[in-house]
Amino acid sequence: MNGNDNPIEYRKPLKRGELDPHRTENTRIGMWAWIWQRTSALALVVLVALHLTLTYNLLIQFLLLLTVTFHAALGLRVVLLDFNLVSVKYHRALIWGLVALGAVVTLIVWFKIY
Amino acid sequence: MRRNIRVFRYDPRQAGSGHFDRYSLEVGAETTTTILDVLLRLQQEQDPTLAFRFACRVNMCGSCGMVINGKEALACKTNVSEIPAGGEITIRPLNHFPVIKDLVVDMAPFFEKYESVLPFFEPKREGTEPAQIRPDSRERLAIAGATECIACGCCVSSCTMAYYHEGYAGPAALNRAFTLLADSRDGLFAERLDRALLSCYDCRTEFNCTEVCPKGISPTRAIKYIQRLALTHPAEESLPVSPVEEVMEQIRQPLDRRAWVAGALGAGAAAVLGALGIGAVAGPALSKTPKQWVPVAPLDNLRAGDVTTAPIHYDIQRGIYTQRVSVPVLVSRTASELICFNATCPHLGCTVRWDGHSSRFRCACHGGNFDRDGEVLAGPPPRPLDRYVYKVDSGQLLVEVG
Repeated sequence: MNGNDNPIEYRKPLKRGELDPHRTENTRIGMWAWIWQRTSALALVVLVALHLTLTYNLLIQFLLLLTVTFHAALGLRVVLLDFNLVSVKYHRALIWGLVALGAVVTLIVWFKIY
Repeated sequence: MRRNIRVFRYDPRQAGSGHFDRYSLEVGAETTTTILDVLLRLQQEQDPTLAFRFACRVNMCGSCGMVINGKEALACKTNVSEIPAGGEITIRPLNHFPVIKDLVVDMAPFFEKYESVLPFFEPKREGTEPAQIRPDSRERLAIAGATECIACGCCVSSCTMAYYHEGYAGPAALNRAFTLLADSRDGLFAERLDRALLSCYDCRTEFNCTEVCPKGISPTRAIKYIQRLALTHPAEESLPVSPVEEVMEQIRQPLDRRAWVAGALGAGAAAVLGALGIGAVAGPALSKTPKQWVPVAPLDNLRAGDVTTAPIHYDIQRGIYTQRVSVPVLVSRTASELICFNATCPHLGCTVRWDGHSSRFRCACHGGNFDRDGEVLAGPPPRPLDRYVYKVDSGQLLVEVG
């Protein structure tokens, strides 16, 4: 108990997922999209650094291309939603749609080049 | 069917961080028993000290918002049958609000944020009365069900940004602002927009609020609408600036660990990228590539009167990586002299070839022609072909590159 006049003490606000056995099921697709875009941004920092040092390493080139596409697909989704070019009710379909489209384009481009 | 129930308990007289109590209850008809019914029975039959808030019991008042099995919902709207058969039911108070007791939270922060966007209707001074907005008009359809908000706080509880961005008004308040901003009768448009725009960019488009809203409203959609208003209504005056005292207070606050880690990560990434970028761009220009002698061919293989194309291979250091260079050298040998031409066209860098029929060096790209001494005969090249410095060492022709 604290020393002020208030005889009771509020518990500090719970954070999302704190003491929550259902934390992962509470993380739904829209939030995963955001988390994965952030994560892929960090991965890009590493991959771009590697790409600068090992420019002609095919594996790094491929991973970089893949990560850029993934990051761009999720970013494009947010742009489309921001400008109301696609209704927010399709936000789930946009995630799978754009990531799949990006993957197909990436593979076509990759096999055209190599 | 018998259900195990875990309920978060917090006793304000004992403080601490709270814990879960386990109960077991025989629930009869699960499709017609709500979580609120379960809580009422627990309170009446097992533990009279259990505290929770409710009023209308029919999804209208927004008092009984809580986190049920990881998802924010109204206890009176969630049936026991919605939780997988036989599964445990876990009930927690809403996130991001101080907990008063057990499942009862202090909603004061919610309504402070709510008030920050002027959540009341103020008619315009001029205009015809009564205003006529047809139910099927574009304006009314855009607002749609967003006016149905009952301020239960589920969206704010689900929104991680409401936690991490202290000044963020949150989904409920911004949804309320949207319903008024989209209303052509609104007399406080500019003031409200100023306030809503201040915080609407804290949204990260996670859709958590949309997922949990018991009224099926999408605050995300509302926030996007407000963000787009900034495009059509550019601020006429600069946005209000925080008083100096507030800014100073923020500076004085010790840096918390999360901010420090984020800052350190960002600075580290920026440093790595910056160093690599500078190294890659400036490195080759700054570092003097050491000159080196590269063997071209044995002198005996080069017959007088011929122009021979001989490939050379050597490594150069470009910044932090090693590049293997393979280029042709054009060796023109006459009875009296020997010239080693650089095959790179001085125009735009294509590779020049020797054409024996016309006795000319030709560049295929833009039609540059050079004579046997490398002088320009035709085309755009600005100067004669470059020559390598060469030497002959024990019968081997070498050129200097670098």
